[in-house]
Amino acid sequence: MSARHTMGIDIGSTASKCVILKETSDTSGREIVSKALIPFGAGTSGPARVVDQALADCGYRKEDMAYILATGYGRNSVEVANFEMSELSCHAWGAHFLFPGVRTVIDIGGQDVKVLRIGKGGVLDTFVMNEKCAAGTGRFLEVMARVLEVKLEDLAQMSAQSTERVDISSTCTVFAESEVISQLARNKNRCDIINGIHRSVAGRVAGLARRVGVVKDVVMTGGVAQNSGVLLALENELKTDIVTSPLSQYAGALGAALLAFRKLGSLEA
Amino acid sequence: MSAIGAIGELLSQFDVIAANPKAQLEKYVAGGKKAIGCFPYYVPEELVKAADMVPFGIWGAEGTINAAKEYFAPFYCTIAQMGLELALNGKLNKLSGVILPSMCDTLRPLTQNFRAAIPQLPFIFLAHPQNRRAPYGVEYTKSQYANVKKSLEAIAGKAITDGDLKDSIRVYNESRAARRKFVKLAGQHPEAVSPMHRSAVLKSAYFMDKADHTALLTQLNAQLETLPKSDWKGSRILLSGILADSRNLLQILADNNMVVVADDVAQQSRAFRLDVPEADDPMTALALQFAGQDYDVLLYDPELNKRPEYIVNLARENGAEGVVILMMQFCDPEEMEYPSLKQALDKADIPSVSIGFDQQMRDFGQARTQLQAFADVLSAKR
Repeated sequence: MSARHTMGIDIGSTASKCVILKETSDTSGREIVSKALIPFGAGTSGPARVVDQALADCGYRKEDMAYILATGYGRNSVEVANFEMSELSCHAWGAHFLFPGVRTVIDIGGQDVKVLRIGKGGVLDTFVMNEKCAAGTGRFLEVMARVLEVKLEDLAQMSAQSTERVDISSTCTVFAESEVISQLARNKNRCDIINGIHRSVAGRVAGLARRVGVVKDVVMTGGVAQNSGVLLALENELKTDIVTSPLSQYAGALGAALLAFRKLGSLEA
Repeated sequence: MSAIGAIGELLSQFDVIAANPKAQLEKYVAGGKKAIGCFPYYVPEELVKAADMVPFGIWGAEGTINAAKEYFAPFYCTIAQMGLELALNGKLNKLSGVILPSMCDTLRPLTQNFRAAIPQLPFIFLAHPQNRRAPYGVEYTKSQYANVKKSLEAIAGKAITDGDLKDSIRVYNESRAARRKFVKLAGQHPEAVSPMHRSAVLKSAYFMDKADHTALLTQLNAQLETLPKSDWKGSRILLSGILADSRNLLQILADNNMVVVADDVAQQSRAFRLDVPEADDPMTALALQFAGQDYDVLLYDPELNKRPEYIVNLARENGAEGVVILMMQFCDPEEMEYPSLKQALDKADIPSVSIGFDQQMRDFGQARTQLQAFADVLSAKR
């Protein structure tokens, strides 16, 4: 194996992600050769399984990796990693790789919301995180999906079918849960309630985003970026286009693998 | 012994004292001294020492709030809640009295809740004036301090003479000067003084007779002055907030190679940046010191932007690359002043990060993520 490879591992609170990159001679300099996602995060079998799966998919071994960098909530307990870095820095690099014109990243994960301002070359300039509160996070959507007895992956499609505005005013997950139950008790349509939930999340996240200032291009990463209902509500709230990618959930792991190459460079310098 | 060895030994002494206020209190009481609990902040401790008693700082404690929940809604600053919790759990029983200032909308109800909940402990209420500089403000402060003096004399069973008070003011001015010098030296020698050590040195002053603290600190400062110039490669930060004594948070600063070169922390530099001026009447001198205090979220500032400008200048003068704001949860004054501070720092191109915390915090994962990323931001700007 002549070209060097790095591995980025992102251990979130609800999912583990892994990306393997290969050094290339083209302008991007890097190519994704494998990626894996296991829907179990820190403290579970997810971290070990995601590494095994990413390696199995491309036929490499851990020993073939020139450098392994871990990130995410569970980054401190990844034994195979050579180094660990904050997911804020990794998401900045990952988003910049996917969208070179990015200036603002909105990352909604399982238990955190982060808004990043990106400077030249994908460098993290400034950021803000949610306070200790589940409102506006993936966990908030999970709780609401459970109350509504719908699958998490069906939320976006059901939200699109909404015909009547229903407001979920509370930003507290516990109180919002009660509010949703009372809306159900009033026989409100579940699609309308879900649409209201998405607007509630968007309102919360937009408030955070405005603290760092929203500058185009705006990119959404993290698991919740897969939910087009939240994406649309956020676009309406911030009055701007927001782009995302099928790889959005891998942005942290991708950034970690990219930063692994930088680490290799500094070690060789 | 080498300077590094001597410094390590002295720092260990401060560490032990800062971590064991109970043992310190018991030691003073066993030695026949009376101790007076001094709640946050701007308590004229000089009066306590002048009455031959030991001022003992009560800035809450890390722990869980249970008994105090009967008296407070959950959205109260934990310093106030934990202060009452300590008293309700009998941890302040060895004190001979307490002084409670009422400088904000949380401390004010604390004074009344404390008075109602702990009737057995002599209680001294202290109301500072908002308009502290005008002659009538100085007179008001003097009258309040006179009330405090009278109550302390009753507890001590002795009158405080002008001579006693002047001696006490001298001891306190020496202590303030030594602490200011230490803050500078700690920022210059990060290899010798970690953020945890720095905090322990400053925190221990609240649990020691100030003359004893100054004597120990003078030795430490002298040793630090002998060290060669540091070639520190980490980040130089300014800390701001009400408290900065959480070992978990400070360990994260250390783990990310951050050195505290200056601070705007209430329990630290805000408490000793201004000496008591020279005056014939020591009570007037104490009141004039409070009149001269500034750049604080709890002090009325008719010019509105002086504190942000002060912090920007403090950062620049000390070569701080960034500002870490330790935002005490539910501290209304800190939270309300934050936008103007952030705006001033942004305008001055000084990166900053706000870390929410309180004294009940057990999971520091989010703070670790933020501070690690902030270290990356500072490093990228270098």
